[in-house]
Amino acid sequence: MGNTRKRLRWVAPGVVLGIGSLVLSACGSSSPAQSTGSSSAPVVLQFWNTYNQTDTEASTIAKVVIPAFEKSHPGIKVVSDVYPTTETEMYSKLLASINAGDPPDIVRADISWVPGLAQEGALVPLSKDMSDFSSLSASVYPGTLAPNEWQGVYYGLPVDTNTQCLFWNKADFQAADLSGPPTTMSQLLSDAQKLTDPAKKQWGLGVDGTDLWNLLPYVWSAGGQVTNSSYTTASGYLDGTASVGELTALGNLFSNGEIGSDILGGTGVLTGEEGFPTGKYAMYIDGPWAVSTFSGGKPSLTYNKQYGIAQMPAGPGGSVSVIGGEDIVVPSGSKHAAAAEEFVQYMLSPTVQQEMAAAGQMSVLKDAGSFETKLQAYYAPFAEQLAQAQARPPVPNYAKIDSDVSNAISAALHHQGTMQQELDAVTPQVNQLLSGS
Amino acid sequence: MLPRVRGALAFGQRPLPYLFILPGVAFYLIFTIYPVLRQAEMSFQHWQPVPGTPTPFVGLSNYARALHDPVVRTAAINSLLYTLVTVPTQMLLGLAAANLLHRRLPGRWIWRTLIYLPVVTSWVIASYVFAYLFNTDEGLVNAVLSALAGHAVTIDWLQNTWTSFAVIWLLAVWKGIGWSMVMFLAGLTALDRSVVESGQVDGARGWRLWWHIILPGIRPTTIFVFVMLVIGSLQAFLSIFLLTSGGPYNSTQVLLTYTYQVAFSFFDFGYAAALATMLGVALFLLSAAEIRLLRERKAA
Repeated sequence: MGNTRKRLRWVAPGVVLGIGSLVLSACGSSSPAQSTGSSSAPVVLQFWNTYNQTDTEASTIAKVVIPAFEKSHPGIKVVSDVYPTTETEMYSKLLASINAGDPPDIVRADISWVPGLAQEGALVPLSKDMSDFSSLSASVYPGTLAPNEWQGVYYGLPVDTNTQCLFWNKADFQAADLSGPPTTMSQLLSDAQKLTDPAKKQWGLGVDGTDLWNLLPYVWSAGGQVTNSSYTTASGYLDGTASVGELTALGNLFSNGEIGSDILGGTGVLTGEEGFPTGKYAMYIDGPWAVSTFSGGKPSLTYNKQYGIAQMPAGPGGSVSVIGGEDIVVPSGSKHAAAAEEFVQYMLSPTVQQEMAAAGQMSVLKDAGSFETKLQAYYAPFAEQLAQAQARPPVPNYAKIDSDVSNAISAALHHQGTMQQELDAVTPQVNQLLSGS
Repeated sequence: MLPRVRGALAFGQRPLPYLFILPGVAFYLIFTIYPVLRQAEMSFQHWQPVPGTPTPFVGLSNYARALHDPVVRTAAINSLLYTLVTVPTQMLLGLAAANLLHRRLPGRWIWRTLIYLPVVTSWVIASYVFAYLFNTDEGLVNAVLSALAGHAVTIDWLQNTWTSFAVIWLLAVWKGIGWSMVMFLAGLTALDRSVVESGQVDGARGWRLWWHIILPGIRPTTIFVFVMLVIGSLQAFLSIFLLTSGGPYNSTQVLLTYTYQVAFSFFDFGYAAALATMLGVALFLLSAAEIRLLRERKAA
């Protein structure tokens, strides 16, 4: 017994150290694909994205797009890592991986991320690195290319695009004796009043929050701006007459109960995507994905039968909407940048763009109209609107600017001050953020 | 107190205990102490996530910025308000429940289980359930209010500041009563019955019995519950993050939700590190003061 205890005294530490070293060695080992280093081993590209898994986007990438690439590029394997939660979550994971020196090789990034990542030196400058960048960039809509530029260099290429159009409920319009969707901004405001029916809990217009994505189409169409064209100041633009006037008009509609409380944002309110299919919101602006969302929630709801999709009503600024979508970028820490660039090039090929358009992602190619409208009739109004859509300010501090402006507008809607007072107060903050501090 | 054996734990003679605690200590140093020190270092830098990018030393400027940031002020007030409302309420209701369920009531274990159930329910699930209950158009609360009022009641619970606070506080109290109850039940069970009975013999009844006998008897439990609830309330995050995300217009931000937003929405890591360090230091000082109070009371 005594001997056993004595032996245990020295065996146990050995076991502890053994387990410890096993754990440490397991932590330190890299994946087989990275550790082999053999020239015959395939290059494995990690492709981070947020493709939708509830429809066919993610499965098209995994089952059609990637296998075709791997077939035409022997020696390269692509692993699609889908982040099913939010883009913000993927962005924070991306930053963590960049900091750890082990980023993915390719990222399908929201267009608003690129300037910030480029400023940090986290992205490969594709316009310098890719020999065919000029031809690729010439093939896409100029508006979709713009958000990839930072200080004269392009750090990404657009891979899919979208914009917002005006959805209008035909039955609600008929009941209000309105023959069709509004074509001017003033008509939009008066139609919202006519379409509101408190007895039916029906609002004339649904607006999904005070953030710039939701409000810029109204501001731009009314002739307003957030900043000057070189994104150096917001003074005279965000707090200018046109921007304040349009936002005040929307605020008045909200105060009168003609816009639903979804404009206040947050959880627990009827969103446009829930309220439009049920006729609670007679008008609502949204992107092409809303069509499948509506039919998913209510299969009998069909484009051009129960509802129409119109261009943003025109104001002094024209009929202007906002460009959304994603870019494809290569993090500068990628261990396989050359292979990643081949995949980037492939993603912009007409074949892939057509496959993804069939899965619900609008193409960035200028000549996409030839195949898109054959695939989905509802792409037509969005393709038309894209020609007059603008990008949100492509500046590194965009997220903070968006939050500050959104809070100022929200404060005005909560009567903490007038719209003019709130926007006057936030404009110096925006100027400071535009200056990079 | 255990007798101290001189030299019994000297590493050279008895290495085994040290080696057994080594993994735990290593884990603690790597995953707790190192991040805390690294965070403190980052709070003095304009920290950039990309390796090799300069992260200039900015001295106390992140801390100075926090002192002038109106959202920090709002968040600090909201955190204190959350503590002031939810801690005493949880303690009072927890004590009341413990007092009731300390007695030999029929089916008391069912009541104990029901009251304790929210404690083991995930914050995420509980928050989503509350978001549903207080949904403007489809929520149960507005539906009940509409039925009672005889007309449609459409309160935007989570879109306005004070109604949002009401929901957040209600969730915190509902979820916390069970834990306070269990702590107070333990305190009441450990109370020397002979002291209580002596008091009763001497004529103490009702609130006098509570004020002079029971409450002093469970004082260590009360202070422990208070300390833990205060620390927990100042670290409130998930419910607010999920119910309002600090909105509308930052009016329901608390310190942790704002710190999270600064770090993971604005990616301003140096500033977020300064905010987290300030909160950490405040919590450390508060806990130290409370523990000192607890020791003094025990000694008295």
